Amino acid sequence: MGSAILYGLISLVICIAYFTAVDHFLMDSQGLDFWYLFRK
Amino acid sequence: MGRVAGKKLFSVMALCAMISLLLLPLAVSLPSLAIGADAPDAVKKEGEAKVEKGRDVYYKTEGIVVGAPAPKTVDGPKDYPRYNFESRVLLWFANQQHLYYGSFVLAVPIFCMVIEFMGMVTKDKAMAKRYDQLAYDFIKISLTAYSITAILGGILIFTFLTLYPAFFGYLSSIFRPVMHIYALMFVAESGTIYIYYYGWDKMKEGFLKWIHLSMSVVLNVIGTLLMFLANSWIGFMMSPAGVDEQGRFLGNIWHVIHTALWNPLNVHRILGNMAFGGGVVAAYAAYKFLASKTDEDRAHYDWMGYIAMALGVAFLIPLPFAGYWLMREVYAYRQQMGITLMGGLLAWLFIIQATMIGILFLSTNYYLWQALGRMRGAEKYQRYIKYLVFVLCVGFLVFITPHTIVMTPAELKAMGGQQHPVLGNYGVMSAKNGGINVIITTTILSFVWYMRGNKVSTVSWSKFGNIFMGIFFGCAYVNIIWLAIYGYYIPANVRVGLSVPQVATTLSCLFFMFALNGFMMKGAKQMGAIEWGKISVRSQYALIMLATAFTWMRGLMGYIRSSVRLFWHVNEIMRDNSPWAYTHTVGFAANMISFNVLFFWFSILFVFWLGSLGVKKAPVEAKAGVPGGAPQPVEGH
Repeated sequence: MGSAILYGLISLVICIAYFTAVDHFLMDSQGLDFWYLFRK
Repeated sequence: MGRVAGKKLFSVMALCAMISLLLLPLAVSLPSLAIGADAPDAVKKEGEAKVEKGRDVYYKTEGIVVGAPAPKTVDGPKDYPRYNFESRVLLWFANQQHLYYGSFVLAVPIFCMVIEFMGMVTKDKAMAKRYDQLAYDFIKISLTAYSITAILGGILIFTFLTLYPAFFGYLSSIFRPVMHIYALMFVAESGTIYIYYYGWDKMKEGFLKWIHLSMSVVLNVIGTLLMFLANSWIGFMMSPAGVDEQGRFLGNIWHVIHTALWNPLNVHRILGNMAFGGGVVAAYAAYKFLASKTDEDRAHYDWMGYIAMALGVAFLIPLPFAGYWLMREVYAYRQQMGITLMGGLLAWLFIIQATMIGILFLSTNYYLWQALGRMRGAEKYQRYIKYLVFVLCVGFLVFITPHTIVMTPAELKAMGGQQHPVLGNYGVMSAKNGGINVIITTTILSFVWYMRGNKVSTVSWSKFGNIFMGIFFGCAYVNIIWLAIYGYYIPANVRVGLSVPQVATTLSCLFFMFALNGFMMKGAKQMGAIEWGKISVRSQYALIMLATAFTWMRGLMGYIRSSVRLFWHVNEIMRDNSPWAYTHTVGFAANMISFNVLFFWFSILFVFWLGSLGVKKAPVEAKAGVPGGAPQPVEGH
């Protein structure tokens, strides 16, 4: 059970980091600001 | 030994000769290109006064006028000779049937190439024979269809010549060298496909088999180039280039071919052809499965249906993204054209299209869930299917929600406005992008489940792999939905870019999760063999549904693409002055598309029947102890 939680946490960190990077860089490559709403 | 070497040498020489012959049309046509290019010089020599320059409507470059202006037609027997019937409908029918058959015969040889290659590289000899038999079955179906395509092409040209002579005369004056190359390449394609088919038995082993496979590559290169050339005509009609504002050719044939929409049309069509071809072959297999009398036949056609469906869906998944690219280019070319398509006159047809896309994915998922039934060990996934159904239905309902609907004043008043207070929020692209990406991601998940249905991973890190896969899919769903919601809170010019990370999220699931699953299932423990043929009859109807939906959607999208030109033969260059230069009602268009679909399916059933007449199957005993074992391939064809 302990290892499952650890694996889950590691996976979660990797996935969140990956999808955030996808969102940020692919918007950036189009000359758009992904964080538009939060910077306003 | 000497005889074998001689045979090899002869084969290589034959292949080289064939390639040279195939390239001959290009060589023959090049001088005509050159004549087109030299023409300005010839005109120059006659005197500077005769040289007239024009400005390219798209590329904005200057060129010397070498063509006549686009004819200004008038409604009458000279420009629009007719029967007592709407000429446009006759042309629509001829064009659509030609395109259905054309796309089928272009797609199937690509499948053959892939499957034949798989058969050659696989180490399992029995499997290799099965792949070879399957590739042969595929090409056999397409051969009769190939003749029908050529006949329909002839009918189409005669329909153009007799009913729209002025327009066709103008188009052929612009595309003269391209049309010659097209015709000659068609001859090359015919020659290659017949050698490929009839040489199957003679070239079934060793080096000759590689030569045979190389022929399929040549065949597909020609087929794809043929399609690209035909696409240049419709690209020119939608987004003309290489001519001035009067429609006069400026001498650069590449500009005429390489219009703003040519590349996205090429990509969209090749994917569409492949998905459609897969669907038709899957329907053929389903039809044969349903008509099968023995377990062996059922096993074979079940397997064939699965392979065809998987190939078709592999191309269906990227198809919406290619569609987005095409639409984006349409907007970039003429914003008004994009608005007419997506937000104006033709917007309702896109709602129908969304419904058809949804049906395609629902049918695919349904088939895969049914297919889990032929594997031992796949029961563990059955209990989760209801959640996938829920997710798919929600995605589908959002995807098909219209922004506005046609209402009576009383209905408008009752609803309190043009948009529904709740559902109206889902009728925007932000939500629709979310909906379709959720549907596609769920389809990918169903595929992953299918691929691991009867297997248990034995790799040491399988626990981590399973958890990672689950969380990756979960995060992908969250990211897609989050981006869809986020789009409501940011300006339109920023929102439009969100579709790119949404698509990337879906594609990440496709590529990374398929790869991860592949690594995890390497050397996996099998719970039992896949029992081909032991699948519900309902699944085969799902395949037929899939193929019918493909056919209907192709008809619909072709109509949308064509009718976006409104009252132009060639957009903003040559006006359509026939009495039929108006847009049909949605109801009429739907009936016409349905008629085309029915005609295609009745005629292709005839093709299937013809194909079955030539079958000479040797009786083969099924392997003992393998329930529903796949049949062994016949020895000869």
